[in-house]
Amino acid sequence: MSQNGVGRDRSIVLVVVLLLISGCASAPTPGPTAHPFDEVRRLAIIVSGDSSFSVVGHNAEPGRTFDEILAWYPTQAWMRPLARILHKGINWALELGQTATISGRVDDISPRTVVAAAMAQKLRATGWFDEIRMLDREPPAEDPWREDALVRVTIPAWGFVRVREGDPDLLAGFADVRAYLTIPGTGISRWEGSQDVTAPEQFPIDTFRKDPDFARQQLVGVLERAGQRLANELMYARSAGR
Amino acid sequence: MSLRRLAPVSLVLVLSLNGCGSTALDVRYPEQGVNRALLASVAPRRVRIDHVVDRRLETARVGIKPGGGSDIVTSRPVADIVQEALDLEVTRNGHQVVSDRPEVVLRPVVEVFSLDAVQGYASWQYVGKVVITLSVADGRTGDTLLTRRYVGIRRRDVDKPDEDQWREVMDTALARAMHDLATDPDLVAALGASRPPPASAG
Repeated sequence: MSQNGVGRDRSIVLVVVLLLISGCASAPTPGPTAHPFDEVRRLAIIVSGDSSFSVVGHNAEPGRTFDEILAWYPTQAWMRPLARILHKGINWALELGQTATISGRVDDISPRTVVAAAMAQKLRATGWFDEIRMLDREPPAEDPWREDALVRVTIPAWGFVRVREGDPDLLAGFADVRAYLTIPGTGISRWEGSQDVTAPEQFPIDTFRKDPDFARQQLVGVLERAGQRLANELMYARSAGR
Repeated sequence: MSLRRLAPVSLVLVLSLNGCGSTALDVRYPEQGVNRALLASVAPRRVRIDHVVDRRLETARVGIKPGGGSDIVTSRPVADIVQEALDLEVTRNGHQVVSDRPEVVLRPVVEVFSLDAVQGYASWQYVGKVVITLSVADGRTGDTLLTRRYVGIRRRDVDKPDEDQWREVMDTALARAMHDLATDPDLVAALGASRPPPASAG
């Protein structure tokens, strides 16, 4: 083979390797949308929207069982979408059962109150704000107090989620929260944040089933953590770009 | 050398980079996302950051690849990743990272740096977790002023396992721990309470 041929072969290998390596390199992560709001001194936190308690299992087993059954049928391929729907239905029913078992014992928890109080407490501790108040509805336009900014918080989901596979599986408390900081009367949004908050501690589901007080303690803890995380991210974004 | 003779070499390279070996994640704290936060509200300090101690129970990997069972590792030592993140956060907040005559000494320990996967029927859930214990010592007396544990957790559902998603999960978990650190009023108070060491004679 000629020298040119060898050079070409090496070039091909080099290109393949470079392409593979370049795929492993990290792309820059876009930062959160944020603008400075240093001038905000009076703040109101409004928690609104529905919050649904759930026990999320992400179970694979019912689906696996269906796969095994369907493997015996020649019509497996076209039945697979049906199996997927059935699997989701079974999981939904299982999770609904677990949710109902636990939720009956923790239904006195108000996620809105816990998240808002924890967020307000964390923000107050910074000393950056002169006043922070919690509202359960939008302030009227003629409100004499008149905040510099409103933080609208929603808690779409909270409960327990399976975080580790094993025998038994381990679950942790979770709360998915969102917040928007707006300037009243302007429609201007200065910051928005979304947090999937998970409790650091993990336990078998039976621990929560058998000890409602412990389940309640874990849920309140993760809701407080959600409020603190929102506060931390809001504070972290406060001087972005400066 | 012919292409035929190079083929086995190429095959080994391709296999090793595509899942037969461990997967190396380039986890890092993105510099462009680091802000001046509460940590900047105290007067600038000379801060020495001691070498990060990696006290994880399992240091050889951060997780196990779903399905395949091979290791997920970081492309750099976890201690280096955390050291870089701390350097960035402290510096961006107006303090000076020094090696001598510090006013404040930070002693970081990595307790957890892990990626777990939970398999569902048609999706995966990833949970990245970073736990950093930070002791703050007075630069003059060496007395410990504060010890805090910062926990960053990221939970994400995905349809198909992907290295970029694993990295994003770990990047975000690390960033959350660092943001909690940078907005911790107790840490700010400890920095404010620190004093410089006496100037050496001569």
